[in-house]
Amino acid sequence: MSARVRAWMAFVALAAALPACATSPYKRAGNPAEVAAALARSQPPAAAGRSLVFLVLGGAAGPRVAAYDLSAARVVWTQPGDVTTRIAVGHDVIVHGGKAPGATEGSALIVARDIGNGAVLWQHALAGDERLAGYDVDGNAVYLVVQTLGLTKRGTTGAVVALDPRTGLLRWRHPLPTGRVAGPAVRGGLVAVPVDSQYVILMDGMTGMELAQVLSTAEAATFVRPLPEGMFYGSRGVFLLSAGTARGSRQAPGYLLAKLPPFVRPFYWYDLYRPEQAQYSAIDRNHILWRVTAEGDRARFRDDTVAVHDYRFLFGFDSTSGTLRWAYTHPSDAVGSTDTGSVIVFVSADGDIRALDRVTGARRYEARLQGEMVRAATFDAEGFSPTLPKTETGAGPAPDLVEALGAIVADPDKRFPDLKLFAIEEIGRLPGRAATEKLLHILGGRDLPPLAVQKASEALAARRDTQSADLLAAALRLHADYAEGRSAPPVDFLARAVGALGGMGRSVTPELVAQLRHPETPVQSAAQIARALVATGGEEAIPALRDYLTMYRADPAHDADPSALIAIAEALLKLGGAADRRLLLFVAEEPHTVAPLRAHLVRALGETEPGVGTKTATRD
Amino acid sequence: MPVRSAGIAVALAFALGATGARAADTKPAEAPAPAAAGSKPAKAKKAGQQKQGKPEKSDAATAAGKKPLPAARLDAAREALAGDDDAAAVAAAGSLGASGAGNAAEPLAEMLAAGASPSRAEAALDALAKLGGAGALTAPRTFEVLDLYAGHRAPEIRQRAVKALGTVKDTRVTATLLARLGDAAPGVRAAAGEALAARRERAATPRLFALVKRGDAGAAGPLAALATPDLIPQVAELSGTVDDGVLASVMGDYLQRADVPDGLRVDVVRTVARMGGAAATTALVEYIASVPAKDNRQSKREAQKLLDEQAGATK
Repeated sequence: MSARVRAWMAFVALAAALPACATSPYKRAGNPAEVAAALARSQPPAAAGRSLVFLVLGGAAGPRVAAYDLSAARVVWTQPGDVTTRIAVGHDVIVHGGKAPGATEGSALIVARDIGNGAVLWQHALAGDERLAGYDVDGNAVYLVVQTLGLTKRGTTGAVVALDPRTGLLRWRHPLPTGRVAGPAVRGGLVAVPVDSQYVILMDGMTGMELAQVLSTAEAATFVRPLPEGMFYGSRGVFLLSAGTARGSRQAPGYLLAKLPPFVRPFYWYDLYRPEQAQYSAIDRNHILWRVTAEGDRARFRDDTVAVHDYRFLFGFDSTSGTLRWAYTHPSDAVGSTDTGSVIVFVSADGDIRALDRVTGARRYEARLQGEMVRAATFDAEGFSPTLPKTETGAGPAPDLVEALGAIVADPDKRFPDLKLFAIEEIGRLPGRAATEKLLHILGGRDLPPLAVQKASEALAARRDTQSADLLAAALRLHADYAEGRSAPPVDFLARAVGALGGMGRSVTPELVAQLRHPETPVQSAAQIARALVATGGEEAIPALRDYLTMYRADPAHDADPSALIAIAEALLKLGGAADRRLLLFVAEEPHTVAPLRAHLVRALGETEPGVGTKTATRD
Repeated sequence: MPVRSAGIAVALAFALGATGARAADTKPAEAPAPAAAGSKPAKAKKAGQQKQGKPEKSDAATAAGKKPLPAARLDAAREALAGDDDAAAVAAAGSLGASGAGNAAEPLAEMLAAGASPSRAEAALDALAKLGGAGALTAPRTFEVLDLYAGHRAPEIRQRAVKALGTVKDTRVTATLLARLGDAAPGVRAAAGEALAARRERAATPRLFALVKRGDAGAAGPLAALATPDLIPQVAELSGTVDDGVLASVMGDYLQRADVPDGLRVDVVRTVARMGGAAATTALVEYIASVPAKDNRQSKREAQKLLDEQAGATK
């Protein structure tokens, strides 16, 4: 256990002891009964029955906000205006940050718009000594968490402010026990506010009365997120808010952490302590999309699936095993995305709107905003579950995973080297000839970085696809030809893959022999060919091995690196007969033979008894 | 050096056996599935289809113009070729090559089959080329060794092997030469092209044209030697995409061929003149110079006229 972990545990233990302290503002923290009671007071939000996406637009027409109806595939309204922080969607209003005329740096303006036409209903400017930590909205109110700056850091205080959603008038103001506060979340009349890193205060949205306190003992609670299936909090993972997670630990049945590959940024929701994450940013283009099935205190990711949005790429993973289920590549960056519970909807920077089945990745919706530059998007499309007509292009079965991953590898966008490596590894894991064929195609490519080529080679060898030896043979039949403008295949990697097939790769011996005789075949590849021939038992290659050994045995170019000659000699020793042993004896004795090879052969011949490990039948 | 001699004897037996076995391995009946052009199995199959891999002229007496070297001299040459003295080995190889004797190739081929340093291999290949030029390369095993060295990793060695191979009167040579037209080394490609042109191998034309299309100067002469009249317009069409010097070289060499009708030459002369530039002028000047003074053919007159016009235009 590292010192850092020990320190964290000590801190957690100390924090856990705090409720016993009479002066602590968190003496209620971690009380399951109070959390259960608070949750019981809240009502699951009624479905809005809408499928809207709110768009932050740029381009020649200037900064605008628009509402797009996914079901009707049309823009409902467009209004001019700057959007400085993320749009939050309520019952009949939307709220976002805006720019006040002549505003100073750090000052904040909350703008509320009518959801039906986008008209500004009211604007609320924070006082000069106030800082906005975040906001959320429901049918009852707009909830702001604000910090009032003190003369010192300890003097800074926090409060939750509830405003009437239609008028912006103050409903109530409730002080928080600390100035270290984060943005709120509201669900069914229950407002959740993270404070002091590891607490979440639950309060009644109607009155501002504090109902309960949650203590996260295992990890910081940097977010709270309302979903129809429950309220969630967490940071590295996700806790379903319940009596069982009133004192959150990772052992709780309501704790969720998806198993995902290393390239995935483990970002489940915005860090609400960080004001910059309230702005639309790269985070909206690179995050995990998840929904939950909750059964009492127990939770699991819905359909055991989470989706990953990584700029232009979307993936579906089995959350328990990390197995890739589907992959999708879009021509341009997706600037925003959401999981509606049925589909993954996203909007691209150039105005494409797509929906993919969250389990299979099949395309289920396509629309386009012509001529628009989309900067960001917020969705209000819970339950949106479209189905493309079967006749329409792109509708139908799930995308072919090999092809989808191959497209990622071949993608000219250089920003995602880790993703390409992941795609290659995944192709290697997939069974069947198509995957082998794709790996061969990748290895034949010209623009891949060395690490990707290495990965593809390893994947090809590791899969030991005995049904695809003919594909390896076909790849090896190609060779460099200047007249035809053709470069050499990756012989080294192909030979390794053949060798991995063992005896099943023997049918590829003629192609390996042809490559061994080809002058452009690199020395390292010759060594690999020799090893592959030994692995497959390709005795037919003996004449070529003899030729190679004799032709280069006295070539000083092999003095520094005799590995190829040694590998060839070893292959002859293992595959050849008595005659080959005599040839090796000659090579070992002949003074013109390069010294390292001689030394190796003297040792190797000495270690093997004549006739042991050699064959004397027909090749004498 | 009895140990070494015994060792060499073993090596020769089996090294030569190896190259021989390779030829056996690649007989058409045993060849694998269709291979890419230039690969050994395809080559063997093609050779087999032509003349079952036999030399075009197997009678050594007709090939060797000079009488065989005595056994003692061959043994002395073998001793020098296998000895420690590089200079002596190279000299022995040169001496064998200069002999022009029908059996002088044997020690050279033996040394190559057993393996030698690059300098010795180069000397042996030069000597074999010399013997080939004298019509003294007839043993089938000489082809096997040269064919092997035509696939050597060192371009200098490949080039020499290809040159020597070109002198071997064996149909199997063609496939190797055609394959070497795709070599990465310009010198090897040029040697292969020249050998194919000397052998009048029209099958080489498409690959030579492909090389010219890539601006390979070494292919210009061989293509000119093998080109049919219908190919010349295609060459002319490459103007602007390929270095004019290469194109002018093809057409200039083509003009100098004796078998080209003079009417066609006139067209080529005009095409060359239209290309303009130093390379085109050189091609026309060289063409005029190649025609005997008393021969006043129309193409010569046209070339002269066009050169005069160019000169007048530049004054």
